[in-house]
Amino acid sequence: MAIIAGGTVTLSQYLACMEKKDKYGHISSRISGASAKTGHMLRDRQFGAPSATEYTDAVIVGGGVAGLTAARKLHHSGVTNFRLLELEPHTGGNASSGSNAYSAYPLGAHYLPIPNNDNKPLLDLLAEAGILLGYHPDGLPIYNETDLCYDPEERLYIRNRWQEGLVPQQGLSQEALAEIRRFLDSMEALRQAKGSDQRYAFDIPVDNSSADATFRQLDQLTMADWMDQQGYRSEELRWYVDYCCRDDYGAGLQAISAWAGIHYFASRKGKAANAETSQLLTWPQGNGRLVQHLQQFSRDQTQTGCVVYRITPSAGEVLVDYYDTHTHQLRRLAAKACILATPQFITQRLIPGGAYHHDFVYSPWLVANITLDYVPASSGYQLCWDNVIYKGKSLGYVNAQQQRLSQEAPAKQVVTYYLPLDHLDPVASRKYAIALSPQHWTKLIADDLEIPHPGITSLIRDVDITVWGHGMIRPHKGFITGAARAAAQQSQWPNVFFAHSDLSGISIFEEAFYHGNKAADALVHLLG
Amino acid sequence: MEILLLLSVFVIATCGLIYELVAGTLASYLLGDSVTQFSTIIGAYLFSMGIGAYFSRFFKKDLLSWFIQLEILVGLIGGISSAALFLLFEHAASFRLILYLLVGLTGTLVGLELPLLMNILKDRYEFKDLVSRVFTFDYIGALLASIVFPMLLVPYLGLIRTSCFFGILNVAVAIVVLVKFKKEIKWAAYLKAKAIACIVFLAGLFIWADRIMTFAESQAFRDPVIYSHSSPYQRIVLTHSRLDLRLYLNGNLQFSSADEYRYHEALIHPAMLYSPKRSQVLILGGGDGMAARELLKYPEVEQVTLVDLDPAMTKLFRQNSMLASLNDSSLLSPRVRVINADAFQWLKENNEQFDVVIVDFPDPGNYAVGKLYTTAFYRKLRHALTDSSVVVIQSTSPYVAPKAFWCVNTTLQECNYQTIPYHTYVPSFGEWGYVMASPGPLAQRRTDLPAGLRYFAAATFSQMRDFTADMQPRKVLANHLNNQVLVQYFEDEWGKYQE
Repeated sequence: MAIIAGGTVTLSQYLACMEKKDKYGHISSRISGASAKTGHMLRDRQFGAPSATEYTDAVIVGGGVAGLTAARKLHHSGVTNFRLLELEPHTGGNASSGSNAYSAYPLGAHYLPIPNNDNKPLLDLLAEAGILLGYHPDGLPIYNETDLCYDPEERLYIRNRWQEGLVPQQGLSQEALAEIRRFLDSMEALRQAKGSDQRYAFDIPVDNSSADATFRQLDQLTMADWMDQQGYRSEELRWYVDYCCRDDYGAGLQAISAWAGIHYFASRKGKAANAETSQLLTWPQGNGRLVQHLQQFSRDQTQTGCVVYRITPSAGEVLVDYYDTHTHQLRRLAAKACILATPQFITQRLIPGGAYHHDFVYSPWLVANITLDYVPASSGYQLCWDNVIYKGKSLGYVNAQQQRLSQEAPAKQVVTYYLPLDHLDPVASRKYAIALSPQHWTKLIADDLEIPHPGITSLIRDVDITVWGHGMIRPHKGFITGAARAAAQQSQWPNVFFAHSDLSGISIFEEAFYHGNKAADALVHLLG
Repeated sequence: MEILLLLSVFVIATCGLIYELVAGTLASYLLGDSVTQFSTIIGAYLFSMGIGAYFSRFFKKDLLSWFIQLEILVGLIGGISSAALFLLFEHAASFRLILYLLVGLTGTLVGLELPLLMNILKDRYEFKDLVSRVFTFDYIGALLASIVFPMLLVPYLGLIRTSCFFGILNVAVAIVVLVKFKKEIKWAAYLKAKAIACIVFLAGLFIWADRIMTFAESQAFRDPVIYSHSSPYQRIVLTHSRLDLRLYLNGNLQFSSADEYRYHEALIHPAMLYSPKRSQVLILGGGDGMAARELLKYPEVEQVTLVDLDPAMTKLFRQNSMLASLNDSSLLSPRVRVINADAFQWLKENNEQFDVVIVDFPDPGNYAVGKLYTTAFYRKLRHALTDSSVVVIQSTSPYVAPKAFWCVNTTLQECNYQTIPYHTYVPSFGEWGYVMASPGPLAQRRTDLPAGLRYFAAATFSQMRDFTADMQPRKVLANHLNNQVLVQYFEDEWGKYQE
């Protein structure tokens, strides 16, 4: 008896000890991502005159999707004497990816919805990358089925249970369900709607959308205002729309314009022989798959770690001055023309007389790739590609290993957790995001995941955090139709072109791709 | 004091008989044929007790100490006996030898107990009284054991816990004697430590018996579970009854030894009649070696490549003599090459082509397995085929799950395969379906079948191709990675059937 009693005492002391020990202590974590320090050199440092000048036909500043797309277009147009300057150690921008021993994973964008069928340049890109295999006799594209998101696709944790699909269903009142149906029907009608100019009301690229005032004026309201007008009051529906706005724009329905909010639902009309309209193309490394394809056209022309600090256009020549972080040298490229595939807050610092227009608001984001033993089963529907928590702080997590074909469970699971930092205004959020330590983020993330998965903290092994200070352009009220966006697209110089998704007001692959092609076409035309 | 020793007799007798019953039950579970097993186990056990009784004469001094030592040893060996037998079943080359060695050892030790105890008590009782009392308690103990064993112990505790529990009782006897006769006992402290260590060990085994054999699981199966093992991929369970041996993977019946020949003959031989060539054959799944057994009946088959995910399965069906006798040791044949790999991954890397391919995966009851029934898989499989190769796919029940069955057919057709769906009756499964497929035209190319088939004949096949009104083709979608409709059909239809 004494032995047992003694044993119990020791055991309980031991357990108490364990309890006190940091329950996040076993998790390794780090913050990587956009090189804020290098980037801020542009803001904080005075650069002198460059020491050497080289000559080239064209310079692309920025190696995100827009810049890489422009480089591909130049390559296909026979312009190979160009340079692509990128600030980061790698190109790819928001579509960059990483990997560990268990899986590749995205550092930003995770998917591309199947494109609209009139977006020929994008369909051609997918065909070139082997993602689109050909066309069915009826004209619909056939996608490589291993690139289409595998079933089961989405689930939502609501009322302590996972339901299939993201549109709230489980435990909703008849009124709420009816309202959701009404909303989705109205989105379907708007998907097909055309303006007086016979263009789709909502299209991708945004530039192709109808100029009809009936639709354009929706940009003068917030999505929340519009929903009030339309009598959409259900808490669950409003959460769902808020989630969608945060998902695509990094801010909720109070901030986002109704035009942009509806664009999310009504712009995608892609059809395929072997996929539904809403389906996605996804890969373990996310849109890193597309970036890896694009990179091949500018591998020899790409210089990473280069901070461009001044663009000087003149008749017949553009001087591009940059600081090479590898050699610590200031250098100059003299080119016939230049594409600035950079966001506005950079572009305006580079061009003569540039002034940053504060209508361009960028949503900060946090993306965390979490390596864990396994995603614990919890009640309801099984693990899906996208796993969202109703009224969660985050957008939930995406299973980076969804596209595995093997029967074996992965040795470790890797999921990508998305957190738009929209609880404060963007500037405050950015400061806050940079100030937090990886351990602090880990605790926040683990606590958020504990809601649907009690005990998951003990299963987490590693958290790879990427903070995107200026993650994506935010289409707030009035921005899409506003003067600032229109002005930013116009170049004062015949040999300087702009290409970035922020010129569309919507940060998606398709828009960056559109602007990259548009700028490259104009440049090729100039060079003759 | 004396009554205590007599109570020990009672406990010892109960324990002794329990070990015997455990060994007999285990032997008939694992080896089948319960009459033979029980007779030989009882015989061997009683004989060993005789040996023990004979050796009791050599104990002259310190009888109480020796008795305590003996109780601890009996408790330990008897207590671990069933756990040990279950664990060794998988690994031992000759399971019978180990079984009888253990029975012999336990019997010898149990045989020592009573003579030793009678020697201890001989100075405390009249001889007449002694014999009468010891044997009375002995037989009462035996009666109790024989009643509680089938009625309470096997159904509620399971075999492993039963033997642990009685092992603990044996050691408890040792401890009680130790405490009561402290003064008469040599090495008391040492014996006490040893006894406590044994009790802790047996109690641990009792608690963690689930790790060895999930007791709840043995409840879930109709017949006694004789083997269970969780590999990284699946839970493998074998049950054995008077009639048959059954294999379950993740709780789903894979075969019953009584009628698996129907399933496997129907799986293999139609494809062999339709394939112009038979020399290179690929089996995907089929780690039990039964499909390989059927293929090896053809002398023209030069090589069978068997790709099964789970090394635990192929090892079990290669090494265990009882299981190897079911598949005629096919997995040991030089004509069979066993590869433990994921079928999808393996096909991606494979450049060989096969004349016949047997696809024998588990039913598409979840999204992981469902991937092996998609257009993506069948397109990948095409690279392992010539234009005239013949594939056969086990395709669940066209009676219970007609949509799921016809979905496999539709999926193959969408990948430009010619198909022949067919079905057969397997009593333990019910009505079961297969789809034969080929990239080229499907026609019967030959009529020769190996000798010794119990079920399949060329003439039978025309009946197998006939689908009655309740199994007619349904209008279904093809199964793609991005819709996984097959899993949904399968769950809906089987779900309803099981309600």
